[in-house]
Amino acid sequence: MSLVAEAFVSQIAAAEPWPENATLYQQLKGEQILLSDNAASLAVQAFLQMCNLPIKVVCRANAEYMSPSGKVPFIHVGNQVVSELGPIVQFVKAKGHSLSDGLDEVQKAEMKAYMELVNNMLLTAELYLQWCDETTVGEITHARYGSPYPWPLNHILAYQKQWEVKRKMKAIGWGNKTLDQVLEDVDQCCQALSQRLGTQPYFFNKQPTELDALVFGHLYTILTTQLTNDELSEKVKNYSNLLAFCRRIEQHYFEDRGKGSSSIRSS
Amino acid sequence: MLFFFLIPLWGPLCLLLPPLQTYARFTGAPLKVHKVTNPWQSPSGTLPALRTGHGEVISVPHKIITHLRKEKYNADYDLSARQGADTLAFMSLLEEKLLPVLIHTFWVDTKNYVEVTRKWYAEAMPFPLNFFLPGRMQRQFMERLQLLCGEHGPENEEELEKELYQEARECLTLLSQRLGSQKFFFGDAPASLDAYVFGYLALLLQAKLPSGKLQAHLRGLHNLCAYCTHILSLYFPWDGAEGPPPRQTPVGPETEEEPYRRRNQVLSVLAGLAAMVGYALLSGIVSIQRTTPARAPGTRSLSMAEEDEEE
Repeated sequence: MSLVAEAFVSQIAAAEPWPENATLYQQLKGEQILLSDNAASLAVQAFLQMCNLPIKVVCRANAEYMSPSGKVPFIHVGNQVVSELGPIVQFVKAKGHSLSDGLDEVQKAEMKAYMELVNNMLLTAELYLQWCDETTVGEITHARYGSPYPWPLNHILAYQKQWEVKRKMKAIGWGNKTLDQVLEDVDQCCQALSQRLGTQPYFFNKQPTELDALVFGHLYTILTTQLTNDELSEKVKNYSNLLAFCRRIEQHYFEDRGKGSSSIRSS
Repeated sequence: MLFFFLIPLWGPLCLLLPPLQTYARFTGAPLKVHKVTNPWQSPSGTLPALRTGHGEVISVPHKIITHLRKEKYNADYDLSARQGADTLAFMSLLEEKLLPVLIHTFWVDTKNYVEVTRKWYAEAMPFPLNFFLPGRMQRQFMERLQLLCGEHGPENEEELEKELYQEARECLTLLSQRLGSQKFFFGDAPASLDAYVFGYLALLLQAKLPSGKLQAHLRGLHNLCAYCTHILSLYFPWDGAEGPPPRQTPVGPETEEEPYRRRNQVLSVLAGLAAMVGYALLSGIVSIQRTTPARAPGTRSLSMAEEDEEE
């Protein structure tokens, strides 16, 4: 959004309170949604739960095309549509709800840096696994991505998306990485997150912030999604404090509100 | 043991030179930097490349730092686990927010590109590369930026630019807040994060850019400026403020470039001459007339005489 448009939207956003019928759109949960999109959607849901804002999740096959930026999830609040976690956090802040107000400047800087770390490493690794690893692509991704569409559209769209993602990977230097290197990066990222979390309940001690929501979204999805092999989830399972963290947020913000979905298998 | 470090003068990875070189200075690794102008001069075929004392060649940037660490040139030795995690996080922040804007400032912004970047590269490259290589690099960078920053169409370029710069300004402010009044990011000794931050910031501060919106913002963050000057005075004492660090070419590599330059010039002159002569011959401007030499009948009669003798 341009600066002027952003200021305008914030003005309007501030004027109205959060409505009861706010909806979050994502792709079809059972057959279509992919690992990375599921993680992003869960992160936004967790964030809104942490802010105590009611949201209804609606699944649509064309959610990606409805979104203003082309990325899921997006929320429809009042007469505004906002997509992706960053802009949603700002939008919610304009409405007067914020999780990171209690942080000082240094902590805010660290929070932003860690959110970038998750986006840079975890999200990119998920995208790599989904679209650049031939086994996963063949067995899972192509079938899921194209499932709502008839032949030959399902193949065309899947190949188009794969080509786009591969181009992006090449631009950021991940094009030549092997799967093992990617898994090593995931391990490094989880190690950094685990060290930062330490023995605290949340990343910034007692209260959760958007960083907690983002980390939860990604880690929970990695742990509960069935892929061709378990290597990715094994990397996360190596860190017990991260597992406890996910369990804690799931219990506190999802199960308590009656939204129990597949829970984390403790091994 | 001496490391030889070949850095590309062109290509997207040329922006890696300041951080890697700074890291080497921090750790005191004996690194000799060779600036090469075409990738075929590199031992591994790609750049940057580190050739170690053992003759091994490493090409991937973060593996280069890992190798330096293994050889006990480790700037992160004294960091705690949590500081190590913070390093990773802040490096991601730099890569996501600051690097695209650096690329934009030096390569996509028209004024800067024409007056600073292209001029500098054209001067540093040998003939005939200086005519087309900077333009090619610019196209590569623009493509990369498009891919990185998404799906905005060409009509949204201005908005994209504004957004990019806003995020970069935010990033700089965050760095400034994190640094506070400390000398380095993690206490009194520099670490790899300092190498990266300094590498990028120094580029931004030192270059005399005609349109330097980010520069102006950076100059307003006094603790970051003081931080850069401090590191410059400690680790790059003779460079001072003479322009961007990559401009400093040590004497060694320059003399090594001389034979290549001479050879290229001689080759191109020879190629020109050959082309001219070939054209002249083919189009008939010049023709070579073969006159039968006088000796020929003599030799024939000799061979006949030999045949007579055999018979």
